[in-house]
Amino acid sequence: MTGRELHWEIDGQDVAVRIEESTAGGIFRFGEQNIPFTYISRHRHGGWVSVDGKPHEFYVLQDRGSHTVWLDGRTYRLERANKGRPSEAAELARGDCRITALMPGRILRIEVAVGDTVAEKQILATMESMKMETSLLAPMAGRVAAIHCRPGQIVEMGELLIVIEE
Amino acid sequence: MIRKILIANRGEIAIRISHTLREMGIAAAGLFTDPDSEALHRRSMDEAHRIESYLDANEIVRVALECGANAVHPGYGFLSESTSLSSACEKAGITFIGPQTETIRSMGDKLEARRLMQAAGVPVLPAWESNPPASEYPVLVKAVGGGGGKGMRLVQKPSELADAMAAAAREAGNAFNDARVFIEKYVTKPRHIELQVVGDTHGNVVHAFERECSIQRRHQKIIEETPSPAVSPELRATMGATAVAAAKAVAYRGAGTVEFILDAEGRHYFLEMNTRLQVEHPVTEMTTGIDLVREQVRIAEGHPISFKQADLRQTGHSIECRIYAEVPEENFRPDTGTIAVFRPPTGPGVRLDCGVEEGSSVTIDYDPLMAKLIVWAPTRDAAIERMKRSLHDFVLLGVRTNIEFLGRIISSRDFASGNLDTHLIDRNAALLHSPAGTLPIEALLAASLSASPATNGASSSFSNVWTSGAWRNT
Repeated sequence: MTGRELHWEIDGQDVAVRIEESTAGGIFRFGEQNIPFTYISRHRHGGWVSVDGKPHEFYVLQDRGSHTVWLDGRTYRLERANKGRPSEAAELARGDCRITALMPGRILRIEVAVGDTVAEKQILATMESMKMETSLLAPMAGRVAAIHCRPGQIVEMGELLIVIEE
Repeated sequence: MIRKILIANRGEIAIRISHTLREMGIAAAGLFTDPDSEALHRRSMDEAHRIESYLDANEIVRVALECGANAVHPGYGFLSESTSLSSACEKAGITFIGPQTETIRSMGDKLEARRLMQAAGVPVLPAWESNPPASEYPVLVKAVGGGGGKGMRLVQKPSELADAMAAAAREAGNAFNDARVFIEKYVTKPRHIELQVVGDTHGNVVHAFERECSIQRRHQKIIEETPSPAVSPELRATMGATAVAAAKAVAYRGAGTVEFILDAEGRHYFLEMNTRLQVEHPVTEMTTGIDLVREQVRIAEGHPISFKQADLRQTGHSIECRIYAEVPEENFRPDTGTIAVFRPPTGPGVRLDCGVEEGSSVTIDYDPLMAKLIVWAPTRDAAIERMKRSLHDFVLLGVRTNIEFLGRIISSRDFASGNLDTHLIDRNAALLHSPAGTLPIEALLAASLSASPATNGASSSFSNVWTSGAWRNT
């Protein structure tokens, strides 16, 4: 038996689980529950595990701390809790809001300039991806503090585009 | 005699066309761009040639001439309904697998199409060039050269008309290089019903029954089926005769589709004609036994249609679901990524027209349609159960998909009742989200078994869905 403890972030809570396993199976400890499981088979992306006598097929894909789990016809998304992670909000002055790219794509137009006052839901920029375009809207009223992109620029998902301050 | 066909398309449709060609003993030549250099469709052809863009008609014709293809199949989308490819083929002496250039041109102009259809006795919706009587509101402003919801505006009252027409004209001008708009009566609870037609060069036209395509998001169909639960045998006969009259009015050659709006009172009106193979053509193939691509090729070779109207029967029921790389919960934003796990459903009555496999990249360059899942069963209820089972079995990880969302629509009471209209998704916004509920302990176990012992790096964070407006087709 080898044991390991993992932390998941579920509904904003840090949830600790512990696995004690051998090659055939083991015990999954979660809160007060001790759940025995048996492996039926395993492969690179998942396996087949029996819990309480019921078999469950699963696939898991890891992307850094994010885990996508396919189990019995449904998909779940789980995040590893990372206590040491510097909070993004802490890097910013209070009340600031970062507009990031929802999709990899191309910036078509920027509708505001630094210093502009914007209303909630006002269009800040328009971007295009996969033959579709969408507007990036101000999530709150405020002032444009910074613009980190220009028309025509190819951006990655999550790239910082615009900062709005209260 | 056609020896080699250049397939001027990509993804699932290029592969589907190549299947029939290989069965017919015709060489399939394909095209790929740089982002598609490792795409599945490139490897599904007898040969494939690199081009800059699927939208360059001259480049496509040059490749056809160089590789010795004597016909070009445009598939759907891209250049299939643009006269540039059909006329470039004509000039080069290459067979274009589709209707005559003049048919594509006249059906691409919504006002001219309306005029031609009206003259042929096909019912059309009331329309105006400007200022409809106040009693006719709400009305729809539409682009003359448009499609896919571009240049379209719903107008509730006369005071809003001028602004809506200006905005629609601007959008249409940008999208289609044609800023003309017109006003059409708005049907409040429309069903979208289309008729498959096939015409040959000998003047024969037959219809292969209807497809119901009322389940749409962003004016794009996502679930199609045949027979339509709204179409009685009498209505089918009437709409079939109307579709044949419509096709005869333009001496239609090849496979085409006449789209109708069916209103709540069961009256049908001509919407537009699609002068190509439709995305949803497989449901017709499953219930009639016709191979529409084979028929297209034979007609292009000058053969008469291989069946008569009286030979055709609808057997059983077929449903198609379009599998997109997108996130329904977030305004249907398209997603990209590499497919890490791909295990499609199998079994009796299950067909998958698919453009991806494990390892495929879904990029920002093209439409996010990855595959079409089609089922057949003897009855509509059995087809619904089969589709539910197939969607349940479909594992595709690495890019977000609409698979579970499709499952929720298929399992909804509205869908089961057959009481469909194009606003079903807007009305059932709850279907957009997975049902709330606790995470099953088995999912937490599965994640924990697979997780590496140490946390590595922060998860990427990106802004909330509410910073984005709706996605629009361009």
